[in-house]
Amino acid sequence: MDDTIKIKIDHLHFSYQGHWVLRDITTQFAENAITAIVGPSGVGKSTLLMTLNRLWESIPSAKMKGKVEVKFDGRFCDIYDRSFSLPQLRRLVGMVFQVPNPLPMSIYKNIAFPLKLAGYKDKGLIGHRVEQALKRAYLWNEVKDRLTEDALALSGGQQQRLCIARALVLEPEILLLDEPTSSLDAKAGAVIEELLASLKDHCTLLVVSHYLDQVKRIADTVVELSNGRFVPRPFNKQG
Amino acid sequence: MSGILLLGTITCIIGYLFLKGLDTIKLSLIFGETAPLEALLFKKQVFDGLFPAMIGTFSLVVLSVGWAIPVGLATGIYLAEYARHSVKKVFNLFFDILAGIPSIVIGLFGFSLAVFLHKHFSERIYPCLLISSLSLAFLVLPYLIRTTQVALESLPAATRLTALALGATRLQNIFYVLIPKSLSGIISGVILAIGRCAEDTAVIMLTGVVATAGVPKSILSHYEALPFYIYYISSQYSNTQELLSGYGACIILLTICVFLFFLAFVIKRRLTYQALYRV
Repeated sequence: MDDTIKIKIDHLHFSYQGHWVLRDITTQFAENAITAIVGPSGVGKSTLLMTLNRLWESIPSAKMKGKVEVKFDGRFCDIYDRSFSLPQLRRLVGMVFQVPNPLPMSIYKNIAFPLKLAGYKDKGLIGHRVEQALKRAYLWNEVKDRLTEDALALSGGQQQRLCIARALVLEPEILLLDEPTSSLDAKAGAVIEELLASLKDHCTLLVVSHYLDQVKRIADTVVELSNGRFVPRPFNKQG
Repeated sequence: MSGILLLGTITCIIGYLFLKGLDTIKLSLIFGETAPLEALLFKKQVFDGLFPAMIGTFSLVVLSVGWAIPVGLATGIYLAEYARHSVKKVFNLFFDILAGIPSIVIGLFGFSLAVFLHKHFSERIYPCLLISSLSLAFLVLPYLIRTTQVALESLPAATRLTALALGATRLQNIFYVLIPKSLSGIISGVILAIGRCAEDTAVIMLTGVVATAGVPKSILSHYEALPFYIYYISSQYSNTQELLSGYGACIILLTICVFLFFLAFVIKRRLTYQALYRV
């Protein structure tokens, strides 16, 4: 059973300013699959994602209890263990936000930014990785001739794919997506859906989504959050 | 309405200055009897011109802001990004008090410091450019700290998380994203500080400025400064011509300020560009 499991969450509690957002969550997420997390606004879907890359730690007055284990190199590691390096974790667990957030620099430099942060120096290697990431994010053909242009000049859908490419350039094992299509029109959203489906060979994807039809199209498993707890609702694409 | 009032007042003041002082703006006002080129190359001293006062004010501003910027920015970054809530509260109160201290008190403090150093460390230390610039740095420090802190704290949470989610360390996040994004706020603080350093008279009066000293030879010597010259001339002029040269000095002081502001703007533009685009 453990073979197909990538993430194990055990008795997870989470609060902002003393207000409980997640209560006693115990669950597992499958490897190389798309798991969709659905539920009404404000039930802690985004928070749940942030417990997986520890991003909530930068938010004041947030508190967490419980255990999160992720399988790296065939072994489950407690990501809240003190010995686990935070930047290293976030390189293995990428995240894409609801609103596209390219930095005010060129397209190329946006994609190369995580590599720079990770200390890569070899320009040839960086160029190669940037090209690969853009290709995987279905953006290469549209931007290959204008890599030095400002990333903020791209359309909303392109910006979001740029952000996905930026998250992919470090070849993460897990990709967290927080309503990645909600700020885009239907056409741009469809491209991103197709892109996500193509990524699961290399990646474990967790997608927070509002749209049920979207969830049915792309997700292998759907879990629903309500009142800080999971609602048991078996749903499989095949079944 | 109040905007019009403000604009009107500024136009009146500047217009009046130019009306009175424009006639005196000649090379001889700045260089006196000395040949300009020789004065600029510091070959000959200027005795009856404003050149030494201009150099004095200029070096004073550069030195003071030079001391204050590293300390102010570092403190602002610390308060915004690292300090715990309780620490922050104490420091904020402390800096508010520091911002409220009258400049003459800071001048007195600088003077006492100079006397103390003279007595206990070296006979060579007396009120001088160094002491003045340190005192002025103290005067503008709260502005720099507060503007840096506010600029960083007002960044939206999403901006804060962008680079962190990409594996940036806290320090990388600060240097690659947060500071470039809040640079315009930080530079406004610097501009405020420049203006304050250039115009302040109370502090320097007690810490080393004199009516005639020539171009300062080192940071340990006396110096002249434009605001002090203006004060001195307006209170002790012996004929109309001297009073008019005071108006000339006002215009020159304003010009120096405009030049420094402009420099700050250029630096701001270049810095934003470079800080963000160097990958």
